[in-house]
Amino acid sequence: MKVANDADVIVVGAGPAGSCAALAAALGGLEVILVERGPFPGSKNMYGGVVYPRILDELVPEWWTTAPIQRWVVKRSTMLLSDAGALNIEYRGNSWGRPPYNGATAYRPDFDNWLADQAVRAGATLLCSTTVTSLLRDEAGRVIGIATDRPDGELRAPLVIACDGVNSFLAKQADLYPPMDSSHFTLGVKETLSLPREVIDERFGVRDDEGVDIEILGGTSGVNGGGFIYTNSDTVSLGVVLKLSKLAGQSTRPEEIIGQLKRHPAIAPLIEGSEILEYSAHVIPEAGLKMMPKMTADGLMVAGDAAAMCLAAGIWLEGVNFAMASGMYAGRTAVASHEANDASARFLKRYTDSLNDSFVLQDHRKLRNIPELVLSDRVQHSYPGFVTSVLQRMFQVDNPRAKPGLRRIVREERKRAGIKLRHLLRDGWIGMRGFG
Amino acid sequence: MIAVILVRDGALPAGFDEAICEADRRVMLVGSNVAEAIVDVRRFARVVWTCDVASSHLPVSAVASVVAECLRNVWKGNDRPETETQLRAVHDREAIVLPASPDGRDLAPHLAYVLEREFHAGATRVSDGSVTVSRRGGLFLSDIHPQSPFVATLQIGIRGADPLSDAEGDRADIIEIPQPPSTPASTSARAVQHIEIQPPDASTMDLAEAPRILGGGAGLVDSGAFGQLQRIAGWLGASMGVTRVITDRGWAEHNRQIGTTGVVVDPDLYISFGISGAVQHTSGLGHPEHIISVNTDAHCPMMQISDVAIVADANEVLDALEILLFESGEAQ
Amino acid sequence: MSSSMSTSSSSVVVCVKWAPPRLTGDPAADERFGEMSAADQAALEFGLRTAEATGDDVVAVTVGPQSADKVLRDALACGAHRAIRIDTPSDVSTKDGASAAARTLSALGAISLIWCGDYSADRGSGAFPAFLAAHLGLEQSLGLIRVDFGNSGAFPLDVVRRLDGGRRERSRVISTSVLSVEGSVVRLRRASLGRSLSAQSQPIEVVASALVPVEPPIEKPYRPRARVIPAPTGTTPLDRVRSVTESASPKISADPVELDPRRAAELILERLRDWGYTA
Ligand SMILES: Cc1cc2nc3c(=O)[nH]c(=O)nc-3n(C[C@H](O)[C@H](O)[C@H](O)COP(=O)(O)OP(=O)(O)OC[C@H]3O[C@@H](n4cnc5c(N)ncnc54)[C@H](O)[C@@H]3O)c2cc1C
Ligand SMILES: Cc1cc2nc3c(=O)[nH]c(=O)nc-3n(C[C@H](O)[C@H](O)[C@H](O)COP(=O)(O)OP(=O)(O)OC[C@H]3O[C@@H](n4cnc5c(N)ncnc54)[C@H](O)[C@@H]3O)c2cc1C
Ligand SMILES: Nc1ncnc2c1ncn2[C@@H]1O[C@H](COP(=O)(O)O)[C@@H](O)[C@H]1O
Repeated sequence: MKVANDADVIVVGAGPAGSCAALAAALGGLEVILVERGPFPGSKNMYGGVVYPRILDELVPEWWTTAPIQRWVVKRSTMLLSDAGALNIEYRGNSWGRPPYNGATAYRPDFDNWLADQAVRAGATLLCSTTVTSLLRDEAGRVIGIATDRPDGELRAPLVIACDGVNSFLAKQADLYPPMDSSHFTLGVKETLSLPREVIDERFGVRDDEGVDIEILGGTSGVNGGGFIYTNSDTVSLGVVLKLSKLAGQSTRPEEIIGQLKRHPAIAPLIEGSEILEYSAHVIPEAGLKMMPKMTADGLMVAGDAAAMCLAAGIWLEGVNFAMASGMYAGRTAVASHEANDASARFLKRYTDSLNDSFVLQDHRKLRNIPELVLSDRVQHSYPGFVTSVLQRMFQVDNPRAKPGLRRIVREERKRAGIKLRHLLRDGWIGMRGFG
Repeated sequence: MIAVILVRDGALPAGFDEAICEADRRVMLVGSNVAEAIVDVRRFARVVWTCDVASSHLPVSAVASVVAECLRNVWKGNDRPETETQLRAVHDREAIVLPASPDGRDLAPHLAYVLEREFHAGATRVSDGSVTVSRRGGLFLSDIHPQSPFVATLQIGIRGADPLSDAEGDRADIIEIPQPPSTPASTSARAVQHIEIQPPDASTMDLAEAPRILGGGAGLVDSGAFGQLQRIAGWLGASMGVTRVITDRGWAEHNRQIGTTGVVVDPDLYISFGISGAVQHTSGLGHPEHIISVNTDAHCPMMQISDVAIVADANEVLDALEILLFESGEAQ
Repeated sequence: MSSSMSTSSSSVVVCVKWAPPRLTGDPAADERFGEMSAADQAALEFGLRTAEATGDDVVAVTVGPQSADKVLRDALACGAHRAIRIDTPSDVSTKDGASAAARTLSALGAISLIWCGDYSADRGSGAFPAFLAAHLGLEQSLGLIRVDFGNSGAFPLDVVRRLDGGRRERSRVISTSVLSVEGSVVRLRRASLGRSLSAQSQPIEVVASALVPVEPPIEKPYRPRARVIPAPTGTTPLDRVRSVTESASPKISADPVELDPRRAAELILERLRDWGYTA
């Protein structure tokens, strides 16, 4: 028996991955239905606040002229926090403030809505306030559509792209995931703090539509994780990313951890006098490659967080660009599969290939071991204190005592922090291999 | 300012007294059998115009034009030729206020329409120059300063009313206005035909008017308890009220919420089950003559303002009450 | 789709208002969350039911800015056949909005019934339907809490609305008039998937208007108004003093008593009897 299809491809989830999948497929001339559970795309979505949309050059020429952005990121810094003090490494890229730009801060309800709108303009049909409840399969187990929570709510298509975000229940339903392991997830918690435009400009040393991206190591009250601060036009996004497994052990609640971060002498002056507008939390797939599912099944592709493609490696917290890219490749593969009239997992392997050939999986492979390193107890609990106290002693003037030699300081502080030399070397090596 | 009050067969609407007091005790009574209402109105009003409309159940639009006609007469001074003209000039710009009773809410917009005035509904305060209206289901207020004369409805139970001393009441001057010739005879050819008025059902009565209220709070453990509370209230001739915690949980409609951001009530009897008595709740409670509270915490504020403070599990007490009422046959 | 092609003799009109959430600096308070009030949803449901019974078309009408198209699409998805938006820069006064709507409706041809909610989510004046009736010279029955369709679903409709003192008024609607319903009366059906999809591409008729927008009101949190206490009563000064002091004096609260449920219930009923609330 053959049932008429409602579309060439159904995309589930109008986040960055879903909208780019729908956009790419629509540009390829396919009939696309994009299904979103929220009242509008992005309505339910939260994240830290920075996107690196370079990949959009391939889908939306001159995207920066229409994208709803808050500020263009011209400064990226990494902060090392300890009780003793703080080390801040900051780089300002002057060209980042000009077209074609590098990164930007944006509100998800605006950005996702805009991106979905691009897909709609390209001919995709967007269906909001509709939750996908399961995959439709044929006798052979091939995916042939979806069921939704609406009356007579089934949709059929030869191909479904699951972009339903972290913990994708569609991918699970298709048995693409190995058993879940909570240590593969972190919890992201964020506060949106209101501050007058000028105050932000002045405190963060930017002007006009320039913005700042600060990633933080340490300062998460003993719970392994990291923090971030991003500047929007008249708000600041401040949050922490916490290892779920550790959090479970601890009694401290995420709000308290944010509270302590906000009280750190290096942070407090930045947000002084601000008022909390919004508090939100969301789970992040952290383990990268180590937890990625099979990307395809007969009639099904998985993209974005649904495929654990978020790159969360401490000083990097990038997911949107990986989601957009993987979505785009899935969308393009859908076009090819439509032309070849073949939606078998075998054919769809092209999707996995294009991920492998692109930054998406290359970065992940490169940084394979970084998440673990960054979240390791040494990096989390020993190194920040170690480094800051070394610097403390280097820069502190203890006359009449003469300045101590750096090598000696390092040795003493390393001992005091209980860091074995070989560990230091190994971590350094992993770091070099990863980042270098 | 002048209050306009629709009299149905001698019966006055809820909030008539408050509307009169808000309107500097100047009132116009229009409707059927007005004479019967005079006694009660006198306790609050100094100047009363009455217009008895023979035909009952007119379309509201017709009633509106009758009222408009009467008002114009008053403003022209036809009722009392001796009034000085400059006073009239003031008056035909005066604000018109009606109680936000069902009849008032029906009539007011039509009155604004025939008088070509702006209309402000659900006011919490009205004066000639300004009006405060509540918005978003009573969660917010906003002040308006109308540039032109307007019609407004005044929320019921919002301000209270202070009667005149008997002596003053007797001095009220009462001016009858003949029914305008234009008044149509009540027709049977109506698009909406009146069938009957059904007697009060306390358990569903608007809280603001309820003389007896059973209140439920977070001490009641599940939504089912409020169905039960509603039932028991019905048997005791009372209405159900709740705290914001409960409306937030979606266990009761917002119009059941007692307090500053809910309905302001003033019952004779209030029985609270599992309510802590936060000020936002009690400040909407009026001055009940009798308060009974059931709470596991003997020292919470609600217990302290109670005539009878019972330390017990409110959920179990409700069960017990239901059984008792069944046994005594008071539950139908 | 096909049904919207149908050229039925008369139409059932449903007035729905797009009410944005209170706009603050809060990113969460987002205009795109705006939707119709529960009362409007109930009105739409009744509109659809009447039309199903009479074979009329359902015409959803709104007065508002382009963002208001959202509620019209929702209405189309639920089964409305036509959607008309009277274009206004932003919110307008109830009076102006209603007169604009009336102008459009009188150009609409035969109308069998006009459904409204009894309160919009934001302004909540409950006055729009009355103004509409005034403009169109129609009768009204407002704030309905029950609507009995009989078996036909067409006229006559038996309706019930609140009067004060908890009384109810029953009336019978036998021809075209303006009805408004409370939100709690009926739940709006969930739009089917097919219609939700076709609604995306269905046209929305936009009628120009020269209405002047009201500047958005400044909303402050509700503060209860001080209530006046009746002046002291009593013939002698002493009585008056007493009446004041007593009404003002705080309750002498009783000591809490710890009781088992049964006993507690009994005590409550005893007191009600003592105080004369029950026989
Ligand atoms: C605290 C935090 C901070 C972050 N910071 C950053 C950052 O600064 N920069 C960055 O690039 N990335 C960041 N990320 C990661 C980024 O948010 C995600 O990687 C990215 O959103 C993934 O996009 P997606 O489209 O795959 O999934 P999502 O954005 O989660 O979108 C999934 C969509 O699918 C919809 N959906 C889900 N289930 C269903 C269903 N059953 N039916 C219909 N619709 C459904 C959802 O409503 C949602 O719209 C952060 C994440 C967190 C949690
Ligand atoms: C701006 C603002 C406006 C507000 N407006 C309103 C308003 O209009 N109306 C309103 O009601 N609230 C309002 N509130 C909320 C108000 O402050 C209180 O939070 C609320 O009234 C508490 O309701 P509650 O007593 O049901 O819950 P709680 O305060 O949690 O009290 C529960 C009570 O039940 C008792 N209890 C627990 N278990 C049992 C049991 N098994 N048996 C018996 N008793 C038990 C507890 O001892 C406690 O006293 C407002 C708050 C704010 C900030
Ligand atoms: N701008 C509008 N457009 C369409 N219908 C409206 C509009 N405003 C009010 N209504 C209708 O009138 C009812 C009462 O609204 P309101 O008078 O604003 O409380 C609403 O439930 C709607 O059905």
